[in-house]
Amino acid sequence: MSEEIRAKASSAGSMLNNPRVRAILYQALLLFGLGYFFYSIVSNALNNMEARGIKSGFDFLFTASGFDILMTLVPYSATSTYGMTFVVGLLNTILVSIVGIFFATVLGFLIGVAYFSNNWLIKRLSVVYVETFRNIPLLLQVFFWYFAVLASLPSARESLSLGEVIFLNVRGLYLPDLVGGAGSSIVYGSIVVAIAAIVFLKKWAKKRQDDTGEQFPVALTSLGILLGLPLITLFIMGVPFTWDFPELKGFNFRGGITVIPELMALTIALSVYTGAFIAEAVRAGVQSVPHGQTEAARSIGLRENRIMSLIIVPQAMRVIVPLLNSEYQSLVKNSTLATAIGYPDLFTVFVGTSLNQTGQAIEIVFMTMAVYFVINMTISFLMNRFNASVALVERK
Amino acid sequence: MRVFKPQEAQPAPEETMGVAAWIRANLFSNVPNSIATIVILGLLASVLPGLIDWLFIQANWSGNTQADCTNDNGACWVFVSAWMQQFLYGSYPTEELWRVNTGLVALILVIAAPYALPKHLRNTVGVPLFLAYPFICAALLDGRLFGLEFVSTDYWGGFSLNIFLAAASIIIAFPLSFLWALGRRSDMPFIRSVCVVLIEFFRGVPVLALFFMGSVMLPLFFPEGTNVDKLLRVWIVLILFMSGYMAEVFRGGFQAIPQGQYEAADSLGLSYWQKTLLIIFPQVIKVSMPNILATFIMLFKNTTFLLIIGIFELLSTTQTALTNSNWLGGHAPEGYIFVAVVFWVCCFGMSMISANIEKKLDTSHRN
Amino acid sequence: MLKFSSLVAAGLAVGLSFGANAGTLEDVKKRGMLSCGVSTGLAGFSQKDEKGEWSGLDVDVCKAVAAAVLGDASKVQYKPLTAKERFTALQSGEIDILSRNTTWTHTRDTSLGLNFAGVNYYDGQGFMVSKKLGVKSALELDGAAACIQAGTTTELNLADYFRANGMKYTAVTFDTSDQTRAGFESGRCDVLTSDQSQLYAIRIGLKDPDSAMVLPEVISKEPLGPVVRQGDDEWFNIAKWSLVAMIEAEFLGVDSANAADMKDNGKPAQKRLLGTEGDAGEKLGLSADWAYNIVSQVGNYGESFERNVGMGSPLKIARGINEQWNKGGFLYSPPIR
Repeated sequence: MSEEIRAKASSAGSMLNNPRVRAILYQALLLFGLGYFFYSIVSNALNNMEARGIKSGFDFLFTASGFDILMTLVPYSATSTYGMTFVVGLLNTILVSIVGIFFATVLGFLIGVAYFSNNWLIKRLSVVYVETFRNIPLLLQVFFWYFAVLASLPSARESLSLGEVIFLNVRGLYLPDLVGGAGSSIVYGSIVVAIAAIVFLKKWAKKRQDDTGEQFPVALTSLGILLGLPLITLFIMGVPFTWDFPELKGFNFRGGITVIPELMALTIALSVYTGAFIAEAVRAGVQSVPHGQTEAARSIGLRENRIMSLIIVPQAMRVIVPLLNSEYQSLVKNSTLATAIGYPDLFTVFVGTSLNQTGQAIEIVFMTMAVYFVINMTISFLMNRFNASVALVERK
Repeated sequence: MRVFKPQEAQPAPEETMGVAAWIRANLFSNVPNSIATIVILGLLASVLPGLIDWLFIQANWSGNTQADCTNDNGACWVFVSAWMQQFLYGSYPTEELWRVNTGLVALILVIAAPYALPKHLRNTVGVPLFLAYPFICAALLDGRLFGLEFVSTDYWGGFSLNIFLAAASIIIAFPLSFLWALGRRSDMPFIRSVCVVLIEFFRGVPVLALFFMGSVMLPLFFPEGTNVDKLLRVWIVLILFMSGYMAEVFRGGFQAIPQGQYEAADSLGLSYWQKTLLIIFPQVIKVSMPNILATFIMLFKNTTFLLIIGIFELLSTTQTALTNSNWLGGHAPEGYIFVAVVFWVCCFGMSMISANIEKKLDTSHRN
Repeated sequence: MLKFSSLVAAGLAVGLSFGANAGTLEDVKKRGMLSCGVSTGLAGFSQKDEKGEWSGLDVDVCKAVAAAVLGDASKVQYKPLTAKERFTALQSGEIDILSRNTTWTHTRDTSLGLNFAGVNYYDGQGFMVSKKLGVKSALELDGAAACIQAGTTTELNLADYFRANGMKYTAVTFDTSDQTRAGFESGRCDVLTSDQSQLYAIRIGLKDPDSAMVLPEVISKEPLGPVVRQGDDEWFNIAKWSLVAMIEAEFLGVDSANAADMKDNGKPAQKRLLGTEGDAGEKLGLSADWAYNIVSQVGNYGESFERNVGMGSPLKIARGINEQWNKGGFLYSPPIR
């Protein structure tokens, strides 16, 4: 490049053609625009709120809410604060998300695998299931399970029962509760120890196999530890548990654990809907593994069940896991539909009732959004770590 | 000299499997399979006849009022037919319905235009028409701009509103999300982080929370004394929501474009925008098409959530109909079945189209 | 590009409108339409039929104001609003008047920048139970599961009532009256609680309305009425006196059928109401026949009540306390003179 051109390029007139200058200019413009945008909405919001007598700030979190909530995992009453309402709602959201994710995964994998059944009817059903449930709006499905299916269960006095221990009626599912006495915490502790031991055993067995080629019956031993250790402590401590059975008293069942129908309906709807998407993902995952892999595995003499667990599943998981990640996140987001049937999740009690009472839309909507955002980021983080563990390790 | 004479090619062996053999192979191949088959058939036999009886055979089909539903053992489809205009068009004035219909037909034309038009018209006519559609259609439904009778958005509703909202949102989301996706790939750190925050925010937050934001929070953000129509606020929210998802779809599309395409464009001396819009964008759209459709189906189904903030789309019109004092008494099953069928047909149709496109794309990319 | 941006501008203009701060009366007259906030669907109070026509007791207030101001009861633009949006919509000027079963409370009247123009229905929260249960009083409901139609005060009243009487209960909250009814009917709860007016609507919606009964207890006072913005006294007066005119017309025995006749041949009080004597309309900034338009087009309060929620409707609510004062009710309208 001649000096002349170089001089021209650096002259002020063509400064705008310099990519770095332009980049700074664009970003400054954006910064200015965003700054102005936020400034104007904040000042508008402050003006409007003052004119309309809406309070601002988070003081309301420390005032008494005055209403009751159908289902609470922590002690709560009408005299509790809005802050407590938030916690109750958050825990209920987390509960329905975890239970929903569990059942959706089980259902999704079952239906997805059913697609590869050699029974024509099962295969067809798998397809019909997927196409039906993923093409109908979830809100309708929530209504269906709640108002059509669960509402048609018998009344409390005519409950369906399993050995007079478990009861199912229109008010919910009643299960016996395990009440721990003195020393029960040691039994719980032993379960934790057993799980830790299994994790350690697995690592050791893998290392031994890598080093010596000898296999160790990990599955059987694990099962032994998981059942044996807690059982032994249970008897040493003299069985410090009693059952609390549900009983019909007055209007309703008392005692035991109650699973309210709102929770059941929402869980079923979420699992069935998300299950259809997960089934699609599983199908795509299994189909992505070339048939040659199975043939190659057979040719080196692997048994059929080992082919599935050692060859097909690990490869299919690479396709399935990223899809699961987004399905889990949408399940959590969709759990807000609880508000349509009155399951007291975060959305219902906070954006619903609390917002109605306090009118502090900005604080409440933002707090709620932040919570869902954090939950989803957590899921994403965990699934990405899981994904890294199943990802293809390429030769360097 | 002995010459190798190949045998005549023989036809494939005839299908020897009869009905009985097919049933044995596909339904009763072993004991667990047979049990499964019998259980499934038993379940179907116990449910289907009663369902068909209620849905069709004993159903009440004709009439205009609740009193016409005389047979209690069958569905009351009179409820659906009496409310049909509300279900489809909301309270839009009957004599102005042609505007809604024109809008719907125009939507189909506008979507087809980029494919059907000759190549030289595609970019100059097809694409601008596509992008301008939501505004023209809104102006047509509103009427004032074209000197027609003014119809306030409070009267828009029904299933056509679901369609219009979903379509108008995705169309505007196209350019917006593409910009966000470009921003996310940009070297400029501030622009990149703004785009990442935007995308992750609108993807990570429940759409219901966004709707509430549109209905109770946005009005506080506008200057005092300004009214922004509720439907417009919801539309804005839907566009942003959709853009978050589409930006991720486009990001996937960008990743599928071989690096050589960028290098080739650079070596031709194309500018950044020429390269992006003329070389990369068409390819990204092509590979992203199935995912765009899947995202659209999701958006379309999610328009039913508008029920919760009181917009008269199909599902909330159904609920209104259920609370009308002349129709009290439990027509919920009929109403909800109607809504479910309408949505199922649309969504299933679109997923079929999507699967078709995927198949076509699949072959074209195989070496 | 120019074409595109002008379209964008046009689109924005369609959606944006600036609420003028002059007088609401002027705005309404200029627009030729009254913008009235109503409920998204509440049997008997504001409901849409299959033709898209609005009707109901609350809707009739909108119609009355439109008749008084514009001379035509049909010149109303209905804005269906959810409970959360209603005050914002009024404060921002999106609607001119809110007639959406809104309870008149101290907080709302004093700190939200609103004015209540009167009461068009005296309501109160009550209970409905299944007759099978054999309960005669709400005090026997200890341990019951209660279906609640979510409202702004319903949950609070219920919690207060049970706490005050040392009883326990389970609250099952639903969003709409239809869902509450379905929940009650399926046996999800023993008792359904909502405003009395709604209890009747819900009861009539049951498959077998005779299987349920409304308990005598009323645990709260819910005076429902139309609301306007604070700071526009002219408009506040119009809203207030439009409602009064409906009630007064019933008291004076003027209805939609005899209004035309009364106008010329009525007693002095009737003539004053209908505008042939005195200058009531002028003082409000309206035409002389403002109240005549209300009565002839919408009817008096009694007619509206019977048509929408009373014996002439499927709801069959008795007049009860919503009867004229000389017949044992609370309706005592200030005289028009």
